[in-house]
Amino acid sequence: MYTCGIDIGSVSTEALILDIDESKNYKILSYVVNKTGSNSKTAALESFNKALTDAKINRNEINSIIATGYGRVNVEFADKNITEITCHASGVTLIFPATATIIDIGGQDSKVIKIDKTTKKPIDFLMNDKCAAGTGRFLEVMAKTLEINLENFGDIFLNTKEKVDITSTCTVFAESEIVSLIGHGVAKEKIIKGLIYSIADRIISMISRVGLEEPVCLTGGVAKNSGISSAIEEKLGIKLSIPFEPQITGALGAAYLAAKIDHT
Amino acid sequence: MGMQSLKTSVINNVQNNLNTKFIKKLLRFISVKPVINLYGQSFKSIADRYLNIYSIRYLNEVYSENYPVAYGSLFLPYELINGLGLKPFLPEVIGGFTAGLGVSGKTIKTASNKWYSSDLCTFHRSATGASEMDLFPKPSFIFSSNLACDAACKSFQSFSRKYGIEKNYYLIDVPYENDKESLHYLSKQLENIFYDVSEKLYKKPDIENLKKAINYSNEFRKFAIEANNIRKQLFDYPQYFNGLNFILPFFGLCGTKETAKLYKIMRDELKEKLLKQDKNKKMKKVLWMHLKPYYRNEIFNILENNNCRVVFEETSNIFWEELNPEKPFESLAGKMLSNPLRGSGENRINAMRNLADSYDVDGVIMFSHWGCRQSNGLSRIIKDSFNRQGIPVLILDGDCVDINNCPAGQIKTRVEGFAEILNSV
Ligand SMILES: Nc1ncnc2c1ncn2[C@@H]1O[C@H](COP(=O)(O)OP(=O)(O)O)[C@@H](O)[C@H]1O
Ligand code: SF4
Repeated sequence: MYTCGIDIGSVSTEALILDIDESKNYKILSYVVNKTGSNSKTAALESFNKALTDAKINRNEINSIIATGYGRVNVEFADKNITEITCHASGVTLIFPATATIIDIGGQDSKVIKIDKTTKKPIDFLMNDKCAAGTGRFLEVMAKTLEINLENFGDIFLNTKEKVDITSTCTVFAESEIVSLIGHGVAKEKIIKGLIYSIADRIISMISRVGLEEPVCLTGGVAKNSGISSAIEEKLGIKLSIPFEPQITGALGAAYLAAKIDHT
Repeated sequence: MGMQSLKTSVINNVQNNLNTKFIKKLLRFISVKPVINLYGQSFKSIADRYLNIYSIRYLNEVYSENYPVAYGSLFLPYELINGLGLKPFLPEVIGGFTAGLGVSGKTIKTASNKWYSSDLCTFHRSATGASEMDLFPKPSFIFSSNLACDAACKSFQSFSRKYGIEKNYYLIDVPYENDKESLHYLSKQLENIFYDVSEKLYKKPDIENLKKAINYSNEFRKFAIEANNIRKQLFDYPQYFNGLNFILPFFGLCGTKETAKLYKIMRDELKEKLLKQDKNKKMKKVLWMHLKPYYRNEIFNILENNNCRVVFEETSNIFWEELNPEKPFESLAGKMLSNPLRGSGENRINAMRNLADSYDVDGVIMFSHWGCRQSNGLSRIIKDSFNRQGIPVLILDGDCVDINNCPAGQIKTRVEGFAEILNSV
């Protein structure tokens, strides 16, 4: 049967189509990563249609759809809503079955999910969504201020030895702090190194509140920033597993869970 | 006027006419028979209906200027205050009402304009703002205690300044330990208050009236225990029934005939519900700790739509022994000392674990209300302690009074996520 998972985040929307059989063997037929933009309904529909086209199947061939993410209630064509907590746990454990802890850093929130190793289901979680500090948007704003492409942050982090501490956690204050550092002639690379460490520190504090248990998987758009993953690995002294496409684990989990929906 | 529209129009009117004169007029208007009955009909549960009618009538009395009014913080022996013939007015509870009436935005803003720290719990901040806006009845006495809530002593002192009654401000000092000496020390304070206030009221100390209040309190206690026992098996509650709505009678109106009657009504209503309940009905059982948001919110609907039911609340717990009317002060002191929020955090943890056991709960939600240090300070230990028993705990950060400090979407994801965890086992 074909199922679909749709994950509406604050920054990006993902749609994923799964071909799944009765013994739960599955194959990803297609996935789409789009910007959410100002209208999450449109983003959901467009992503869904694109995923259908890519998978070369028709809308009526889809057995069931689950929507997740902060915009999940806006997906009117979904059969069910499930939170990103459960969907991420499901998606990640399909890719890395042994995972005990998930760190998800998205556009405007970050979360740590603890997973029961036998049931593969979440048993505890912690979310930070009250403030943009330590999330993808924070990095985007800083990249703009520094006039350096966010995609290059990873390489810069790895190739820079020294860092400059950024003391402000507030996005607006951090921005002016950076402007003033640049004004004082501080190398942008050192600032980037400092920024990445500051985000890693916030994430590590969340992990220690939930309790670190290995193996740890990093997901969300920010997982594509190799600077962040390296900084977390360095500070925790562990190796993180990162899915081949860290933005789609929520949608993958949603599509997988959608197979359980019984229409009879 | 239709039932629902009466309630809505009351709320709209209060929002648009925030002044004491209007509040008095409105209370007088709703308190008369045909109107109050119509108002009562907008509540689906019988206990809720009685609670709301009774609260309006009580507020009408408080605002009428016909009785001496006493401000009091939450954790006081209200049998004493009611037994003295004072009309208790609980600013913290009214702070919660401001949220329900949709005016807490204004009251909180007023408080912050007057330099009250945004760090202060909004039950107090909203109440202080309302008092600054002269929305409160003028008190003759003010009582607070240092039991649990540290904010109360200070913010109640500022009320006494505002109304120029510093000499009628009583701070009850509840000792940390629960032993013989503490009991003696505390009961002497209560006794002194009783005689001192009687003298200030120019009346003979009426110990018989105090005994009457104690007897009503015992009656309420008995019915509440019975209602609580029914709740051990109950899932099918009357619509919109929520144990956290009964704070005013449970605390402030304890020792009145009406509160005893209210809990009898509640017991009977819940009993009938239990009899009609489908024997096979099963839901995930949740124990709720601390208070809840008092503005319109979806938390309890979300839980119910996700097969979870709050089966008991920390604030519904009858933690004290039956009172002895022949030893009123000692009994009331004993009641205060047996409060699990007194003394070491272990007391609260043990009490909550006992409740979790006897209600056989699947999970615990602890609402972490902004600024409430006495409660939030313990959240880590509470979580660890339940987790060790395999009971999941959601520490739900938010604000009971200030809707702007409690974004609905974030709360929804946390509560749904937690419900999914409970349902997955
Ligand atoms: N190629 C990339 N390199 C570095 N960072 C990226 C890249 N792609 C996305 N990001 C980061 O991921 C964030 C979005 O994360 P995502 O998980 O898609 O958000 P959400 O699901 O909350 O909408 C962006 O704000 C950005 O910081
Ligand atoms: S919520 Fe906490 S701080 Fe506020 S009144 Fe209650 S006990 Fe006091």
